[in-house]
Parts: sequence; C-alpha cells; structure tokens
Amino acid sequence: MRVPIAWLRDYADLPADANEIVARLAALGFPVDDIEMRPRLTNVVVGRIVKLERHPNADRLQLCTIDVGSGKTLLIATAATNVAEGQTIPVATIGAELAGGLKIAPRKMRGVDSEGMLISAEEIGLPGEWFEDGIMQLEPSIPLGTDLIAHFRLGEPVLEVDVTPNRPDALSIVGLARELAASFGVPLHEPSTLVHYEEGGDDARVTIETVDCKRFVYQRVGGLRVRPAQAWMRVRLALAGQRPLNNVVDVSNFVMLELGQPLHFFDWDRVAGKHLIVRDANDGERFTTLDGQERVLDTRAIVIADDQGPTSIAGIMGGQRSEVEPATGEVLIEAATWTGPRIRRASVALKLRTEASSRFEKSLPLALADLGAARAAALLAEEGGSVAMPQAAGMPATEPPPVTLRASEVERLLGFTLTPDEIEQALTSLGFTVARGDAEFVVTPPYWRGDVAIAADLVEEVARVVGYDHVRAEMPAVAPQEVDSAAFDRETGLAVTLAGHGYTEVLSLSLQPGSVAETWRASGIAIDEPVEISNPLSEDQRWMRFSIAPALLEFAARDRALRPYLRFELGHVFAQANPDPRETVHLTALHAGPSTGSGQASAFGRLKSDVLALLQRITGVDARVTRGEFPSLHPGKTAALHVGETLAGYVGVVDPRLARAYDVADTTALATLFVETLPPYVTPKYVAPSKFPPVDRDLAVVVPEGILAGDLVDAVREEPLVRGAAVFDEYRGPQVGAGKKSLALRIVLQSDETTLTDVAADAAMQRIVATLRERFGAVPRGSTSSPQARER
Amino acid sequence: MLWKRPVLQDWAFAFLYDALRQAQDDKTGMSDLDTNLATLTARFRDAVASASDAHALDEVRIAFLGRSGAVTEVRKGIGKLPPAERPGAGKVINEAVQGLEAELAAALARVENAALTRSLEDAIDVTLPGPPAKIGAIHPVRHVAIDVARYFTRHGFAVVLGPEIETDANNFDALNIPPDHPAREGLDSFYLRPDLVLRTHTSPMQVRAMRKHGPPIAIIVPGKAYRRDANDARHLFMFHQVEGLMVGHGIHFGHLKGMLVGMCRELFGPSADVRFRPSFFPFTEPSAEIDVKCPACAGTGEVAAVQCRTCGGSGWIELGGSGMVHPNVLRSVGYDPDAVTGWAFGCGLERIAMKRHDINDIRAFIENAPGFAEGLA
Repeated sequence: MRVPIAWLRDYADLPADANEIVARLAALGFPVDDIEMRPRLTNVVVGRIVKLERHPNADRLQLCTIDVGSGKTLLIATAATNVAEGQTIPVATIGAELAGGLKIAPRKMRGVDSEGMLISAEEIGLPGEWFEDGIMQLEPSIPLGTDLIAHFRLGEPVLEVDVTPNRPDALSIVGLARELAASFGVPLHEPSTLVHYEEGGDDARVTIETVDCKRFVYQRVGGLRVRPAQAWMRVRLALAGQRPLNNVVDVSNFVMLELGQPLHFFDWDRVAGKHLIVRDANDGERFTTLDGQERVLDTRAIVIADDQGPTSIAGIMGGQRSEVEPATGEVLIEAATWTGPRIRRASVALKLRTEASSRFEKSLPLALADLGAARAAALLAEEGGSVAMPQAAGMPATEPPPVTLRASEVERLLGFTLTPDEIEQALTSLGFTVARGDAEFVVTPPYWRGDVAIAADLVEEVARVVGYDHVRAEMPAVAPQEVDSAAFDRETGLAVTLAGHGYTEVLSLSLQPGSVAETWRASGIAIDEPVEISNPLSEDQRWMRFSIAPALLEFAARDRALRPYLRFELGHVFAQANPDPRETVHLTALHAGPSTGSGQASAFGRLKSDVLALLQRITGVDARVTRGEFPSLHPGKTAALHVGETLAGYVGVVDPRLARAYDVADTTALATLFVETLPPYVTPKYVAPSKFPPVDRDLAVVVPEGILAGDLVDAVREEPLVRGAAVFDEYRGPQVGAGKKSLALRIVLQSDETTLTDVAADAAMQRIVATLRERFGAVPRGSTSSPQARER
Repeated sequence: MLWKRPVLQDWAFAFLYDALRQAQDDKTGMSDLDTNLATLTARFRDAVASASDAHALDEVRIAFLGRSGAVTEVRKGIGKLPPAERPGAGKVINEAVQGLEAELAAALARVENAALTRSLEDAIDVTLPGPPAKIGAIHPVRHVAIDVARYFTRHGFAVVLGPEIETDANNFDALNIPPDHPAREGLDSFYLRPDLVLRTHTSPMQVRAMRKHGPPIAIIVPGKAYRRDANDARHLFMFHQVEGLMVGHGIHFGHLKGMLVGMCRELFGPSADVRFRPSFFPFTEPSAEIDVKCPACAGTGEVAAVQCRTCGGSGWIELGGSGMVHPNVLRSVGYDPDAVTGWAFGCGLERIAMKRHDINDIRAFIENAPGFAEGLA
C-alpha cells in the first residue's frame, strides 16, 4: 500500500525523520518495501490573482497581479489560459526550485519583469495528467503567503508498506497512524465524522438476499454539485496513487484509503425503483462496470440490483448505469461488509481485483461500515451536501469477545518479563480495553481487531509495542527425544560419497510435460501411470516425474561436449496407485564416458564399480550382482544389485531406444538405487589377516556364452582356501570356438594355519576346476602359477 | 666366471692379468704380495677417483672387493707362500681390504651428496596442467541443508524427512489454515485431488512428527516444497525449505532466537546476527520474520562506499518466517498447549545458498550448468 508520510501526519504527531517512521513501521510488522523520495521543492507560496490584464507586447501572455499576503503583491506574466481574477493559486517566487530541476530566476517576459511563476500540479511533483490543465487551483481558505510545500508536506517521502493479510485495519492511513501513535506514545487524532442530519431522506430501501452480505449501511446525500475536489484532498489522493476525479467520487476513494472501508456511491436519481436488492448473481448475467467493460457474471459474484437489474458488483466494482456523473445531484452512500472469501472467489472468477475487493476479501469489521459512511457523509457535507440519517441492513456491529490473558503468559511465550502496568499500557495504546484481575487481564479488542481472539494474539500485541528486540537470544537445553535422523543421514551419505567418486549432483524439476512419458511409451518402454496435477500453471508442469532418468539424459545430451560426464540426482519420483499416489526416493546416476567398449573400462563398468563401492560404504555390505531388467535400461545389459535379501537397485546400459530418443551415446550407463529400502548400515567385523603368505594363481576357462562371470566367481569362492577371486579378462574368438567364451580369473589362495605348499595350492586349484567343470561345463585353458609370489 | 661380468674396465683387466700371471709363478713371496697390494691399492684409488656415480663405484667394488675380484686373486697367492708367512699375509690383506672398503664408503657418500646437490638445481614447469581431476560435487542446496543439519544435530535436534505429496489436512487444517484461505483455492497451490496437495511448505512434517512422537521434540525438516508461481529470477515453483520445530516445557521465543543466531553464524560467519520483526502466519502466534545481518556489508548497507549488492543496502536479509507454535496446531496433534510451548521456523534453502554464493538468479539452481555445483562445493 502506498502511504504518503504527508498524509500520516494528519492523524499523529510523528517524528520529523522519515527513516524513524520507516524503522518503526518495520518493527511493528509493517515492512516498508520502497521509499519514494519526492523532488526538492522550495519557495512556493499561496497567492490570489487580484488583477488580470493583457500583456502589452504579447497576445498570448497575461499579466497577473498576485496578492501573496502581508500586503505584498507580485507581477507575474503567464501563458496559462485557465487563470481568472479571484483564483487562489500556487506561486513560485524568485529562487524557487521546482520538480524536474526547474529554477525560477528573475526574467523579462516581452519587456515586463516577471517576479515569479504561476505553476501547475506537475511542477510540484504531482502527476500533471491527474490535475487541471494549466495553473493548479487551490481552495481560498488557505491563508495567502502560506508556504505550500510545507502546507501539503510535499517534501515527505511516500512509502510502499507491506500489510499482512490478518490486518485489513492497517490497510489504511489511519490504521497505520494508530499503530505508529501507539508505538511512539503520541495521541491519535481521529478524523471527524461530525455532521448535521437533515430531516427525511432516510427512506431508501435495501433488501439483503445473500448470507455473504454481513452488513449494509446506506445513506442519502443530496444537494451536491459535481466539480473538482479541494486541493488538500486531491494532493493526498495523488500522493497515495489514486487519481482524483471529482469532489464526490474522490470522497469515496479518500475514505477507503483513510479508514480502510471501501464505499460505493450510487447516483440516486438513476437507481430504478429506489430499491436495492443484494443477491447472488445469476449464471451468465451480463453487466457493464463503470470502467465501460461488459462482464459476464456467474453465481460466485454478488450483485446489487435495482428494478432494472444489476447496478453494481458487490465488493468489487460499481456499474456504469448508476455511476456518479457531472449532473449527479444526490447519491446513496453504500458502506457494506461482505464475507471475505466470497469476494475473493468472485474477484478471481471475474479476473477483476480492485482496491475495494483487495480489502473486502480480508473480511472487514462490521463497525467499519458505519464509520466509513459517517466519514463520507461528513466530507460530502463539506462539499455542500445535505445528509440524511444513515440506515442499515444486515447484522449489527458487535464488539469482539473479550480474551483472558494470564500475566505469566507473556513470559511463558516470550522469555522475558513485563510488569502488569507495561502490559496494560501496551494494550490500551492499541485501543484494547483492559480489565485487571489478580493474575490475569480481561482484554476486549477494539472493533477493528477481529484478528485478536486468543491469549497468544495479545502476547504478540504486547511484544509489538515493546519491540521484538526485547527478545533475548538464549540457547535451549534439548531434552533427550526418540526421533532419529536415519533417513537424512543416509541421503547425505549417498550424495557425499557419490560426489567423492566424481559425480556431480543435479537438481531437476519434479513437474514435467506429458511429452516425457509419451517419449518413453513411444520407445516401447513400460512405465507406471504418472501422477497428474489437477491445476498446473502450464502444460509443461502437468505431470509429476516418474523417473529421474529423463532429466539426466537431457542434461547428458545438452552437455555432449563434456565427457566423461558423471551426474546424479537424489529425489522423489511418483506413480499413480490406489488409493493414493506412490512416492519413492530414488538415487539415479548417469555415466556418459568417452569409452565405447563393453568391458571394465566402459561407462557401464565404471558406473557399476562406483555404485558397488557406494553400496558397500552405505550398507557396510558387498552387494551381489545378478542379471536384471529395469525400465530405462537395456534388457540384456542390466545388473540387479542386492544387499543381503534386499533389491538395492539396478545398473545398466541405457535402453538403446531411449538413447536414440534423447540423442545420447548408446554406451551411456544409468543406475538407480531405491534409497528408502536400502538396509541399514551393518558395522563390518574385523578379520585378522593370515600370517602366512598368499599364493596367486591365474585360471582361464572356456565356458558356454550364457555363463555369467559372477556365478563362476561365486563358485570359486566356495573353495575354503580361496581368499579372493576376480575375472580379469573376457575373450571370444576362433581359439575358443563359437558359442563359447574364455574367462580368465585371478585366484588368491591362503591358509590361516600354514604356508601353502605348491602341492596344496595345486590340489585346491584342481578342486576349483572340477567344480567349474561340473557346474558350468568349464574347460580349463591351462593353469599357471603367477610370475612371482607376493611378498609381505 | 670372468666372462659373466657385465662391464669390466680396462684397468681391472690389466691388473687381474698381472695378478694371475704372478700367481702361476712359483716364485711368489711376501715382497711380491706387498708389491701387489701396493699396486692394487694405487689402481683402486685411481678407479675410485675416476668413478663419478654410485653405479661406477659399485663396479669398482665388484672388480676389487667382489667374490671374484682382484683381492680374491691376491688372496689366492697366500697358498703359495711358505706356511709360516701365510697368517701374516692374511692379516696384511685383511687390513688392506678394510682400508679399501672405508675409502669406497667415503667415496660413495661423496658422490651421493654431489648428486643430491646437483638434483637441487633441477626444475620443472609447475604450471603445466596435470590430467583432469575427477571432481564431483553435491548440489549447493544440499550443501546448505547439510550445514544447517550439522548445526542443529550438534545441539540435539533430529533431522526428519517427509513426503512431497501431502494431505490437504496436514498441509492446511492441522496448521490452523482455514478452509477458505486463499492458498487452498488452487491459485497458489498445486492440487492432485481435492484432498491431496503438493506440500506448500515443509511445515506439515511438524504435524507428522508431533503426531508420531510426544513432547519434547526438537527436529528440523529439510525438503522440497511447491507453490504455484511462474519461475523467474526470484521464484521457482519447486524450492527447498528447512523447517525447525522445538516443543517442550519452558520453550520460549528467546530459544528460537538463540538457535537461529547460532545457525546464521554457522552459515554466514561469526559476526552474523539475527533480528525478529512481527509478522503473520496462521500456524504461529506470536509470529516473526527473521532477518539476518547482511554478511557482505556487516549490516552497514555499503561495501566500499557502494550500496551493498547482497542486501540491497538495507543491511539485513530476510531469512524466513517463525514464531511460537499456535495453540490450535498443538491441539491438532494432541499436545496440550497449557502444558507445553514451542517454536517453529522455516527458511528457504535456495535463498541461503544465493546469499552465500552471491547468486542473483534462483534459476541457476535448476539449470545445472557444467561447473556450477563443482565451483560452489
């Protein structure tokens, strides 16, 4: 909300320094987002044109004799055409500084010495197009010679103040002035609502037919003459960002900004039947608002109708048919209160948010309607209006119910102590009524503080007035508790360990377009039904991700110049399920290596090694590798990883159909781990190394193509003397024959009891060969001892 | 086995030839031995003098003192001496050999020292690049989460995680957000069904944790949250928060401030400070915005007489929202608001990471440009 400090000062004697006001507003919970500094202005005084004559040497200039008070007159030439004798106008005297850097110096205008300049609103920093063409017109009540800059406080900055949605009372100049007055300990000068009611005229009829109209105060004001409003009102409105229109409409805007109660004025002569009906709008009802737009309503809106149909959209915008126009002589003030959410829903449906609706949607206090109408009536009376008695329909305004506050509650919540006097003073300064008991207060909130309903609310009010800076930083003693951090620790361990292996973590959006799932399905890959967002912001964000792989493949394609390319993401993936969508935590890693082979140096081989090392570190257990299948991975090039009895995840070469769809190399490897179901870490036990030297033996066997190296190694490990076994070469070619392959294993033999003799080692190797032959039909290609025995 | 010797220098051959020839001569006597030893010593010294490195000295050792070296040949002469002279000759030879070994050791030390001294003058171009390092990195948002978690766990808090699809009841109702609140009308929140929403904050984990565990409880909750905003330089519809919650006997607002001051010092350095400003959240009362003193300008709003870029000149950075847990929230999870009190806070992790690393466009976090995370690790 735009808050001119100039206007705030009408209601409270605030410090001269604007920064002090800004800081205090922030401390009260109304942060200032922006401070608009006003142009530097000097030497502008109020004058009256006492004589107007033609310039002797120029047709388009007039010479004005200006009375600037204290019997002093100035002779000023002007080219403005809206000047007349008797006008009260702003005069820039010699030496004046005006908006836009203009400086007034003595000068001759066609041979006449001009002692200053008559100026427009623009020259004192107001939007020129919002004011009369030519010289600004002032009310004659301002004493001549008055320093106009000081009078209107035009040098004061305008603040952009953030008001939280629970405080619609503070969406007003008086509301903020009240907060500041309480905080600075100065009195609040509330605006006058004194008015003399004329006899009669209190015969308007209003019928409420919707529950969402809480209260409807209405009041006839006749005898009006529509013309520009007085300068003091126009200046305040303009500073607050509200364009002045005329003395009637401006009053409704002024009261809204001043008190926070939006008003609507009907041109009473154009209300058909002199009867207003407040009702839900009909579906498809058409209506032209006062901005000239035709709007199609539905039942979410509330209309105010007369005998000819809707004439205003309640709480949002009035209608063209009954708007105030130059010929208007009598108005009906409407000051109503609506159910806030209803107004918000209607405003959203109409895509029409106004100053009025943005206040009404926060549910205004009922009593504010009466105050708003009274203030408008008083201001219209100043414009010559004759005011009828106010009338009202709907619920009566009531006081908010009292709240009990134990004195100890302040300390219990805030951690510091205040005396009962301090508590009482803080609350009364904000308008609360306080009744003191022995150990508690019974506090009645003022009508505008419907948000205060419990003791904690009152504690906040007290804290705001004494200042949140009173809260002392103190370290709490944390009691033992039963909650643990296992899931977070595991995710951290996975991410940090994988980063240590050279993988970079990425972060991709969980919402994606439908084209992702379509691409997978078009590639022939089965995926679970993705989860749909019912109200996406755009089609690009309609679906929740079913896998992290698409994002990684996209990054791999985008960054194709960068190889090797190691990335991972750890996050949630989603699938449709009954009764509720399923949400699981995946870690998906991608390795796009420069290598093209299929052996250990391939991207698959490297990723598999890295993921196995990761699993070992996180679970404390060496994972078992079997063949597997997983969407996104090549069906013949996928390993399932098992930690104990748990399926930990999959690693494989990317499905070639996806490789083509995403335009990445078909050697790219992907791994996915199922993070939540990984077994908890098992602390490994120490195994003392043998005191006797190991013996390395290499063994090459020819096996049928389908035999897996891992199965071979598992079988080798069954021999009790085997301490280690690994395949270090895979060979296919004429020497081993079609449909077969040769696998070379390095086997480490060792005994805990004795130094192995060649004879014992040979015997062990023979047992191994026999097992492999029996189980896999393996034929040895020759068993040799290693070139040299390992030394320890 | 002479032929097996790899390289034998000319002088060694010459000497051996002389020794062999004399050994075959029956007229060998003590005087000849002395002569031979003297000659051998002289030739040894020549050889040592001309040896410039450890390898050459080793050859000298082999040629003179080795198993088939010159000394051995000289020793063979002992057998041709009269028996009475043999012990004396043996002693002479042994003494001579000890002398030669000492000289050799000294020579070896000399050449090794010389080689070390020379190697000190070697130089390489240390600016030539090595092979590319294998550098991975966690995401900067996770980095912040880990740092925050480390701080809180050090003080006895637990870190809990929760689902991103949340019930409308947990996300709103239990947090005292009324049914007609704007956030619940589908403009600000992503809905899957009328009763399921992408959590708009990490706060529903407060509800889940408190329902599962009775007071006292002290947790933080890092995680993703979603708001129906268009992505721009300051907003992402998917972002990360860390939630903090502490409920128990005698827990007050000052404890929140104490913990947050500590957290900000952990994140931004030892001079960090925190202030509270009144605010409004349905699930806390009293409520406060948390501002942290700008780490870039130490709260002065200026860096080198220019307006501070990090805080925009205000000297403070908005960190998030906080407050004392609303009694209605405590009631909704079965806690007794008259018996326990508690505080909660929520901060954006991206926002902290942005201030830490001087990132001014939040979209950098989801762009994943090569080098981004690695450069901030």
